[in-house]
Amino acid sequence: MSFDHIANNKRTRTDPFPFDPAATTRDDVLDLASLKAFEELQSDDGSDLIIELIDLYLVDAPQQILAIRKAVAITQWEVLRRAAHNLKGSSSTLGVNQVAVICEELEATNSSDSSEVVEALVQVLDYKFAKARQALTTERQRRLS
Amino acid sequence: MRVVIAEDDAVSRRILETLLRKWGYEVTTTLDGGAAWNALQESSVPTLAILDIMMPGMDGLELCRRVRQLPGSIPPYIILLTANHGVREIVKGIEAGADDYLTKPYDHDELRVRVQVGARMIALQAKLAEHVQELETALGEVKQLQGILPICSYCKKVRDDSNYWQNVESYISDHSHAEFSHGICPSCYETTVRPQLESILKSPSAE
Repeated sequence: MSFDHIANNKRTRTDPFPFDPAATTRDDVLDLASLKAFEELQSDDGSDLIIELIDLYLVDAPQQILAIRKAVAITQWEVLRRAAHNLKGSSSTLGVNQVAVICEELEATNSSDSSEVVEALVQVLDYKFAKARQALTTERQRRLS
Repeated sequence: MRVVIAEDDAVSRRILETLLRKWGYEVTTTLDGGAAWNALQESSVPTLAILDIMMPGMDGLELCRRVRQLPGSIPPYIILLTANHGVREIVKGIEAGADDYLTKPYDHDELRVRVQVGARMIALQAKLAEHVQELETALGEVKQLQGILPICSYCKKVRDDSNYWQNVESYISDHSHAEFSHGICPSCYETTVRPQLESILKSPSAE
């Protein structure tokens, strides 16, 4: 199933779909300006808050995605919505915008949605998170060097 | 000023802690609604609370409702900080008892000024509570002149709390800020003073 197909299926709820799901450029996956906003908060002890935030996100997000996948498997919509909501919050805060948008779609999921569409959305989420992780890891390395 | 944070998301929590400490607030961090509820109940100083809505256990809305039932003259100032957008969500949050509402991702300066508004409100409430306390103390003194005062029907002395019969003037002076200036009313002049003066004038020694 293509990402376009998934997007088209979801358009009944959010029209138009807020981004091109096939886009995979680094800037689309991670908004660096959002991350840079935290530079003003750097501590005096030499530690890098942005690296710390990236690390926290890269530990927490896979757990939330796992919770989402489990919730979809057993159609626990409330659990799904909660995990998607949490991931949406941290993703939008760090500028991981495409993951945040997919989470918003998942958060709006209810029993009337076909499981095929929801499962496909989770696949898109996996894909977008993998891209985001790559971008965040690159940014982390850049800041360390 | 103390700020209680309730946020289950590690990234958001870390950012909030950092921002608030940078702005000079004393921060207490909790990871869910139940822990935040305990922290707010135990707080002995005026407190501002920044709460996420969707949390494990007690959610932010329920927490708002409970906090509004807490006794005390200076209630916590509550800011809901959540990824829930939309007017209906804001209405639900304010109706539950929140004072303000901010959505993620938020601008740091916007949060800073909204927290400042909260701190200003708490300071105003503290001042108001102080004035109420002063008024209650003053009212307590005034109350001593209320109720039933035993007074002698003949000499008009008043019996005080120590069972001592006291001149009505000194009793009132002791129990209020009132002072007396002495004079003679027209009625007493006619019935008492004038006859006494006439009596003196008529007496043989006056001649």
